[in-house]
Amino acid sequence: MTDTGSVPARVTGPPPPFDAELAAGLAVVQGGAPVTLTPDLIGALRTGHVAAHEVGDDGLRRGGSYTFADHVVPGPPGAPDVTVLVCTPAAVDVPAPVIYHIHDGGMVAGTRRSGMTPMLDLAEPHGAIVVSVEYRLAPEHPYPAQVEDCYAGLSWIAEHADALGADTERIVIVGVSAGGGLAAAVTLLARDREGPALYGQLLGYPMLDDRNDSYSTIQMRGFGVWDQTSNETGWRALLGAAYGGANVSPYAAPARATDLSGLPPAYIDVGSAEIFRDEAMAYADRIWQAGGDAELHVWPGGFHAFDAWMPQAALSQALTRARQDWLRRLLAS
Amino acid sequence: MRELVGRVEALDPDAGAALRVITFFDQLMERRAGLENVVRGAAVLSGHPAVLIDTDRSLRIRVTPDGARTEQALPAPQAEWCRLTVDSHITVYLEHPGPAGPVEAMVLERAAMAARTILDRTRSRARPHPHHDTELVEVLLDASAPTEDRHHAAKSLGLSRSAPARVIAGFDGSLQVTAAVTEVLPDDLRAGVGPAVPLLELPQTVAAARAAARFTADGTPTDPGPQVVRAEDLGGLIMLAAAVDAGLGAGPDIAAVERTAAAAPWMLATLDTLAGGISLRTAAAALCVHHSTLHERMAQAERLLGWSLREQPGRLRLTVALMLRRLHRNRAADSVPSGT
Repeated sequence: MTDTGSVPARVTGPPPPFDAELAAGLAVVQGGAPVTLTPDLIGALRTGHVAAHEVGDDGLRRGGSYTFADHVVPGPPGAPDVTVLVCTPAAVDVPAPVIYHIHDGGMVAGTRRSGMTPMLDLAEPHGAIVVSVEYRLAPEHPYPAQVEDCYAGLSWIAEHADALGADTERIVIVGVSAGGGLAAAVTLLARDREGPALYGQLLGYPMLDDRNDSYSTIQMRGFGVWDQTSNETGWRALLGAAYGGANVSPYAAPARATDLSGLPPAYIDVGSAEIFRDEAMAYADRIWQAGGDAELHVWPGGFHAFDAWMPQAALSQALTRARQDWLRRLLAS
Repeated sequence: MRELVGRVEALDPDAGAALRVITFFDQLMERRAGLENVVRGAAVLSGHPAVLIDTDRSLRIRVTPDGARTEQALPAPQAEWCRLTVDSHITVYLEHPGPAGPVEAMVLERAAMAARTILDRTRSRARPHPHHDTELVEVLLDASAPTEDRHHAAKSLGLSRSAPARVIAGFDGSLQVTAAVTEVLPDDLRAGVGPAVPLLELPQTVAAARAAARFTADGTPTDPGPQVVRAEDLGGLIMLAAAVDAGLGAGPDIAAVERTAAAAPWMLATLDTLAGGISLRTAAAALCVHHSTLHERMAQAERLLGWSLREQPGRLRLTVALMLRRLHRNRAADSVPSGT
């Protein structure tokens, strides 16, 4: 290690061991090669991300239980329109709860169709509508394009609830990885602007802190599928020169928020063997400290986004069940 | 950019697939994964439901390609399914008509090998080799054997060096040793269970386990009572065994119980239930008779025994008398290994 200027003043142990199944699955996909996203690989990431995570028409229809349509909706003031994908249950029980989905991709990749299969899996038992927003990507569009596009999509849902058959009292925002960070940011924004009321926030292994220097971040250097350098690539694309500095907004990096009170119930999960472990745990802890409602799951031996890499693994099945259980309890309350 | 975005899917039968199968199972074994992990890997990588069957252990595990373990009754293996058997009792099936393609063949081979390694690792716990185990138990329970040999025997039996263990003395004279945390005893085993002690102190507990075995019964109408007795539960009563062997004071009450038992086929079971100290209503329910019937039976028993069963002292006397009778009858148990 050469740059240890920001290492916490503790002895850093080796990474926690990966779960056996996840490690074996990762070895198959990764072939043992080190994995780091650098700025020159963003284009390739976009191509590969689309291939691996985009859901096709049949996947959205789910054998006829859902219909889908794209809507072009007003963007943030002075910015282009935003496209949202709306998936509606064929037998919708109006007004239906809404899952507002913000896709992953490190702030630099992904589309409104990314990661939609787990979203529809979550939504279907509740007859929920899923709306997924196509926000502008960094680095071509730096902060605040992403969070403002996401906020514009949320505002459109609230304003068109009747036409959508949506229950504005029960909009749950959901995102994983970069989408989890953006979901947390939109939740803060909605609180501070007194915008649409959110019923809950599901933050899967969220990307919350541009400072990128936590204990877990240092510990996991060069391991897993999203390491400190990959994270820097994502945050720098979003923030440019402001990355890691003193003047980063909480709407860019929610870990920077000084006030986490007055937020809707949060579900947060993270793997024990990933860089986001510390910031995810700290975010849940600070919600509790502020008197809020949060549920935190730390999956032992889980690397970043392990459920997307190997959804069949026992640990992935447990993660999926935990998210489903939280949503079931939330919507039953 | 597969490495940045990939996910584990069923493998295409290309040149790299075999290598990835090997990598997968090597990683599982390196991290000491379990059997279910192996079967799940076979299902996910092949894209077909996978089944592991070990006929020696009556073990069946089935996992579908989405990773779900199927708990309900499993379909019988079809003759045409791809399969590989190792050691004549471990078989991995892919629920897919043969012949196996290159990926399937590699998955079967690696999964079967991995399963065998895991089963070997846990073999002594599953006890498929009773003859071998008998010798190991002899060494472990021989206080005069070298300590290292005894530790080695314990390890081969699947016992942890630092965890307490118990001697299980079968009524048939056999001896086994199990980890104290394992509260599961073999079915249909009539046995005394010794106290939990460190491994090297086990020899001193053999006598207690054998004595406890003498308090056991067949659990039949002619020999009612517990099939498994723990020395620790007997407390001071365990001394009754030595008292019977010394010929102390057993005579009249044993004779009274034998005389009473001979009066009716239901008598022993009735006495045993009454001796359990439960209420007459509960006892009647346990014996499946009306409580007025039980009152009549009890009156008859009291006449034959010669003492009352309505108060605690009379019940205690009956309890001890039944134990003495059992100990008397079971006297051969700790000296004649062939037993019954």
